[in-house]
Amino acid sequence: METYTLTVNGQPKEVTVDPGTPLLWVLREDLKMTGTKYGCGIAACGACTVHVGGVATRSCVVPVSLIGDRPIVTIEAMAEDPVGRAVQDAWVSHDVVQCGYCQSGQIMSAVALLKSTPKPTDTNIEASMGGNLCRCGTYVRIREAIKTASQQLT
Amino acid sequence: MRAYKAMLQATSVILVACAAWSASNPIGSAREGVAHKTAARASTRAEGLAAWQQVYSVLTHARCINCHTATNYPQQGDDRHRHFANVVRGPDGKGVPVLQCITCHQESNADSTGVPGGHNWHLAPLSMQWQDLNDKILSSAEVCRAVTDRSKNDNLDGQGLLRHHEEEPLVLWAFQPGRRIDGTPRTLPPLTHERFVAATRTWVEAGTPCPQNR
Repeated sequence: METYTLTVNGQPKEVTVDPGTPLLWVLREDLKMTGTKYGCGIAACGACTVHVGGVATRSCVVPVSLIGDRPIVTIEAMAEDPVGRAVQDAWVSHDVVQCGYCQSGQIMSAVALLKSTPKPTDTNIEASMGGNLCRCGTYVRIREAIKTASQQLT
Repeated sequence: MRAYKAMLQATSVILVACAAWSASNPIGSAREGVAHKTAARASTRAEGLAAWQQVYSVLTHARCINCHTATNYPQQGDDRHRHFANVVRGPDGKGVPVLQCITCHQESNADSTGVPGGHNWHLAPLSMQWQDLNDKILSSAEVCRAVTDRSKNDNLDGQGLLRHHEEEPLVLWAFQPGRRIDGTPRTLPPLTHERFVAATRTWVEAGTPCPQNR
């Protein structure tokens, strides 16, 4: 077991865990931040997406020992983030969510996309969001919501 | 049999006579020296080509060639299948904003989750593709020509190529590729890194010769 001090949503958090523990489980089990979801466990679905050092990251495959001093941002902080707020508002206005399980990952990915590409094309959206799976098939609404958020932000 | 022995004796006499003439004849000695130098150059080129074949065996191993694709996606696994999760090349070989290589691949291998990692994980540029659009590995001559073409290889000369093989973190990763998600070690290239660098050095010192065939 090792002790790590992580910066999560701007707050220092100390955890004592096995170095190989994926960040996802540190967030959910040790820090009780359950907004980030477990989907596949192999980085194939995107449900566990968080931002690490500003990069959309699959937290289910990144051991806590490899985080270093990079700040972690999770879905719990999105309401306080201007882009996150715009995306969440667009999500509501387009009634994107069906079952909702994948949506925290979808929103984290959409926010990362809009922060790097403020006016994404359909191609940008499909390439970037293509790794986030939604078994309810809300993809069309996700795309429209991203465009709405983009318009609101630019 | 008697005739054969006589022929051998005659041949020996001629050879001894030729050697004696050669030793006493400055023109003959000079010619011999040129012949030796030519033989040495040929030998060096032959050694270089042999060394290149060793280098080629590493470059076309899955640990290397999976990121030297001709397509807009990387490959993975020893069977070189398309990378899962709709991962694409992106404009600079590092993926697209939400699906960058570093979305999963960190600075070092993550053996607890089976994700390989190394500094600046990325695809090789399309100019360094070592397979065709059907994922067929290019021939030794084709890969050699690409690797030595400074308009394609980031303007690396022989010494630059040697340094690349000695020091580039992702080259080094190929020889310490970590474990798969099931805990088994990933397969290694056919040479150790030390032998790979030695083969590269021999090839570079021979002037980076490439096979002539296609």
